[in-house]
Amino acid sequence: MVAALLAYALLYASPYGLRVLTVAGVYALAAIGFQIVFGLGGALSLAHGAFFGLGAYATGILGSQWGWGFAATFPVSLLVPLLLALLVGLPVLRLESHYFALATLGIAQVVHLLAVNSPALTGGANGLPGVPGIVLFGWAVPRGLPLAAVVWGFVALGGLLAWRLARGRWGRALTLVRDDPLAAGTLGLDVGGLRLAAFALSAVYAGAAGALAVHTQRVVSPEVLEFPVMVSVLTIAVVGGRGRVAGAILGAVLLLHLPEWFRFLERSYLIVYGVALLATIVLAPHGLTGLLDRLFPARPAPLPKPEAPSGLAIANGPLLRVEGLTKGFGGVRAVDGVSLTLKAGTITGLIGPNGSGKTTLVNLISGLETPDGGRVLMGSADLAGQRPDRIARAGIARTFQAVSLPEGASVLAAVAAARLERDGSIAQAEAHALWALERLGAADLAAKPCAGLPAALRRRVELARALARQPAVLLLDEPAAGLTDGEKAELAGHLRAIAATGTALLVVEHDMGFLLPLAGHVLCLDQGRPLYEGPPEGVRSDPAVVAAYLGEGAR
Amino acid sequence: MRRFLSILSATAFSAVFSATLLPGAALAGEASVPVLVPLTGFLSLEGTSQRNGAVLALKDAPAGVAVRSEVIDTGTSPEAAVTALERAAGGKVTAVAASMLGTQMLAMLPLAQDYGIPLVTVSGTASITEQNNPWVFRFFPGDAVTKEAHARYVTEELGKKRPAVIYQTTAYGQSGKAHLEQAFKTLGVEPVFEEGVDPAAKDLLPVLTKALAAKPDVLVLHLHSGPTALFIRQAAANGVAVPIVAGSAMHQPSTAALLEPAELKGVCAETAASPISGGSPEMEAFTAAYRAAFNAEPDAFALGQYDSIRMVLAAVQGGADSAEAVRKALSGGTHQGLAMTYKSDGKGNMAHSAVIVCYDGASRVPSITKRYDNLTGVVTGMVK
Amino acid sequence: MITLQLLVNGLALGAAYALVALGFVLVLNATAAVNFAQGDLVMAGGLLGVALAPHLPGYLPLPGLLLLPVVLVLMAGLGLLLAVAAYLPLRRRPPVAVFISTIAAGIILQNGASVLFGPEPRAAPPLLGGGTLDLGGLVVAEQSLAIIAVAALLIAGQQWLFGRTQLGRRLRATAQDPEMARACGVPVTAMILITFALGTAFAGAAGLLLANRYFVTPTAGGDLILKAYIAVTIGGWGSVPGAVAGALLIALFEVGVSSVLSYPVALGLLYATLLVILVARPQGLFGEAARRRA
Repeated sequence: MVAALLAYALLYASPYGLRVLTVAGVYALAAIGFQIVFGLGGALSLAHGAFFGLGAYATGILGSQWGWGFAATFPVSLLVPLLLALLVGLPVLRLESHYFALATLGIAQVVHLLAVNSPALTGGANGLPGVPGIVLFGWAVPRGLPLAAVVWGFVALGGLLAWRLARGRWGRALTLVRDDPLAAGTLGLDVGGLRLAAFALSAVYAGAAGALAVHTQRVVSPEVLEFPVMVSVLTIAVVGGRGRVAGAILGAVLLLHLPEWFRFLERSYLIVYGVALLATIVLAPHGLTGLLDRLFPARPAPLPKPEAPSGLAIANGPLLRVEGLTKGFGGVRAVDGVSLTLKAGTITGLIGPNGSGKTTLVNLISGLETPDGGRVLMGSADLAGQRPDRIARAGIARTFQAVSLPEGASVLAAVAAARLERDGSIAQAEAHALWALERLGAADLAAKPCAGLPAALRRRVELARALARQPAVLLLDEPAAGLTDGEKAELAGHLRAIAATGTALLVVEHDMGFLLPLAGHVLCLDQGRPLYEGPPEGVRSDPAVVAAYLGEGAR
Repeated sequence: MRRFLSILSATAFSAVFSATLLPGAALAGEASVPVLVPLTGFLSLEGTSQRNGAVLALKDAPAGVAVRSEVIDTGTSPEAAVTALERAAGGKVTAVAASMLGTQMLAMLPLAQDYGIPLVTVSGTASITEQNNPWVFRFFPGDAVTKEAHARYVTEELGKKRPAVIYQTTAYGQSGKAHLEQAFKTLGVEPVFEEGVDPAAKDLLPVLTKALAAKPDVLVLHLHSGPTALFIRQAAANGVAVPIVAGSAMHQPSTAALLEPAELKGVCAETAASPISGGSPEMEAFTAAYRAAFNAEPDAFALGQYDSIRMVLAAVQGGADSAEAVRKALSGGTHQGLAMTYKSDGKGNMAHSAVIVCYDGASRVPSITKRYDNLTGVVTGMVK
Repeated sequence: MITLQLLVNGLALGAAYALVALGFVLVLNATAAVNFAQGDLVMAGGLLGVALAPHLPGYLPLPGLLLLPVVLVLMAGLGLLLAVAAYLPLRRRPPVAVFISTIAAGIILQNGASVLFGPEPRAAPPLLGGGTLDLGGLVVAEQSLAIIAVAALLIAGQQWLFGRTQLGRRLRATAQDPEMARACGVPVTAMILITFALGTAFAGAAGLLLANRYFVTPTAGGDLILKAYIAVTIGGWGSVPGAVAGALLIALFEVGVSSVLSYPVALGLLYATLLVILVARPQGLFGEAARRRA
């Protein structure tokens, strides 16, 4: 693709063709940044156009009014959007999906209003003329081929950086944050930090693109801040292929050239453009890169050699002590003063009727809910109320009642996500992931996509992911749900093997036939309060437990 | 891909560059005049007038002048305008009928200078003739001219001392407001109320209410077509007795078409010309030809662009065989146009007249009430 | 007195915005997809009214009111077309693909309208009459009252349809969980098509109502989709009463706040309020109702 673009630019393009190519480069750079925050991070940032415009105005004002040169204006154009992104990112990134989109849209609209209504600074709606061209090391870059080359040089640089980031640990982590932020946190990933970094980095790309845009058109005006710029970038990213650097470049080249091809239709050319855009998205709903992937499937990468991670030293004796944990929702006490101790190498069963607070207790320990009171002690550290990733790093792993695996990823990649925070490279993370799969007898699944796995295998993969964290404490929320008797027996064997390495297990389960032979110790909750605690043998004969289960019965 | 491209561009060129050769006549010259105007976006109304005016002038080119042209939409972004100019510059170009959006003009100017292409426009906003660029020609009175006429009519003819100024927060509105302010100051009048209105604002009763609260003796508008009509309608509905003198958007026939003639009673507006108001047989012929060709009513922008292209073609007929020769002819010559007589002030400002038109309440066609000639204002940029 | 007058105007504008937002939110609930063409559909409804007006026999009273059902039916047809062209081929795809396909549909509508009708602003005929009523010194445009009445009727009709009829129950089931609805024997595809028709008809009604008082140009849609998006999000993604409340809030700023402060300041305050609401109530004013898929 690079060769084709280069050949076109050098051999065939007229000054007009080069101009379109240059503008395509500007949009490609902006779209690469958008791929980071939207494609990889999954945050529909509608402030991306505003960051583009801020970069444009920084260069425009400093260049035309203050007489600053490229060497000074360009860094400022990166810095101004970055600062705004960091400033608004903290409150705004807490919002979810569409609320985040609307908040960023609001910010973009405010920036646009300010630009239009501060004529003294921005030239108002008319904008500012006389923006100087790019000067690189004393060389004033003339328009045409040199300008196109410089712009595409920035695209290449930015593209390479983004590509490396996307393929690396950071990109993988960000993808998981997009697909499943809850799971990402419990795998030790700092969800907020990753999102903020992606948002800030995307702003830098947008600012750079904005600066290059005004150097190309030599005028800055509020059009750079208007919604169509934002829509163009979004369209480029989706038509090209969401999350892919190549997608941003392909999309920008296609969408900037598309209207030019139909110019001869005078007023109707945009109708044809709309039809072409519609046809493209219908024929290639996963973008141009998705289409290329389908036409030329990549050869599957060879599997790494499984490698056992150097284990965390697990001490003997009590690993986790929960003391008086309490949580209320509205007026209801979901968990009411629960205490328990998990010892190394033991399996503890957590039972109770539906709604008795089992899952809430697991959520409280793993940090997905904040307790109203009580302590969660790992050694001497109190983890209660800490962020999920901090708790995960302390050595607690968990699985979910409703298994969620990233649908687009392979099994190996999904399990390797557990190691991103700890390992030095993707290769190492995957070697460790394969080890975890192997331990559960699921190594043959490694190359398969997560999408379409049967329920039992999904549970297995999720368990492997938790296991790959080499946790001191492993919390399992109904691991046997939906399994056949044979599969349950196999699972029990695996859990015993895990416990044998020193990990302390807490297993939430309804199936007493599965749990009671497995657990060394059982805690029964009812309406958030401990009802029974002791050896499994005593459960069936405890009148309070039987009463609580009533019709549900101790099967 | 390349093959696809070349097929497309081949069709494009055959479809667009159709030479209208006059049979038999000796060829006095050849003119290639691309029309680069906003046909989409918020200025499409004015841009379409520009296009129609230019196309009409090119269609009845003077004897012996062979004409080639194509129309390219510039949208509303500077980037699209520059791309369009670069595209047009790929062929031989005599002059370009260029966008009336000031920002687009500012973006095109450096490139036009590089290529040596005269830009003829009807843009009244922005400091496009203040860039020391000899390649730009403004065939429409700039805001400095029209707003002087606007302010002088309000103060000298109507004798008003307390104007309320309501303008659009667009390039058109902000530039007009800045020049109105200047013109009123020169006349020793201070507006009692000034406010910008977003073009997307639907209901204008709030701003009307605030303006009236300032007890003005005249409402001075500088709004786009739709908002002008909306404001006048809401003022009429509320029985506002304060007279309204509007900006040039009012004179556009499509603005008056939105209103009942009665609602227009007493409303006046500044403009460069009002073709539908007639005034001379030539003007009436132009209006008739325009209606026949486009099934639409001509406005001053169409007429200004028509006059500008006529002047370019006259130069070609007179022997100007290159872009440079056309530039010289435009900057040195005088052209008796339909709207007025055009002559450069040395900076490319060709139009120095403005008129005030008023509506009588019985018809949507205004009559010319006052004419201001030989106004020499300088359109300034927004930065003070 | 002037305050009352502003209130009526604000209500009328808010009622029209509410119809736009309502069409948007119905499609959103049924498909989990953002219909970005909604603003352009409003524009199309307005221009349809403009185009049809000369064909009505002049001797009939109340031409605008007669136009309303015609516009509703034709726009419902356009909605079906939109669903078939831009939604159904992409229903198993990521929702963002529908975002782009409806952007494309919007581009086609906007430029098609520009070629067909030209760029001039147009006025559709009034529903009842173009005049004003003088209610004891309170000058109220008949059209304002008509807008409020028609919007209220249509919204009430939608509530009745969804709340009280078999069809409505099926539509709601589809909106809540299409897989479950399908399992229960609801023809989900037909329900989605009906929702698109309904949403587009509402857009058309809004277009006809707005295009008399506030005129219509081919480029009018861009601003309306922004407002619909804001109204729907501020009210709570997917909540119908929330969308109506959001629309009224926007109108309050446009007509109310701007009668005290300047337009740009009122607009800035609207966005500031928006951000405050989002920070204070991250799930919108009325809580979230839409399924989350993306």
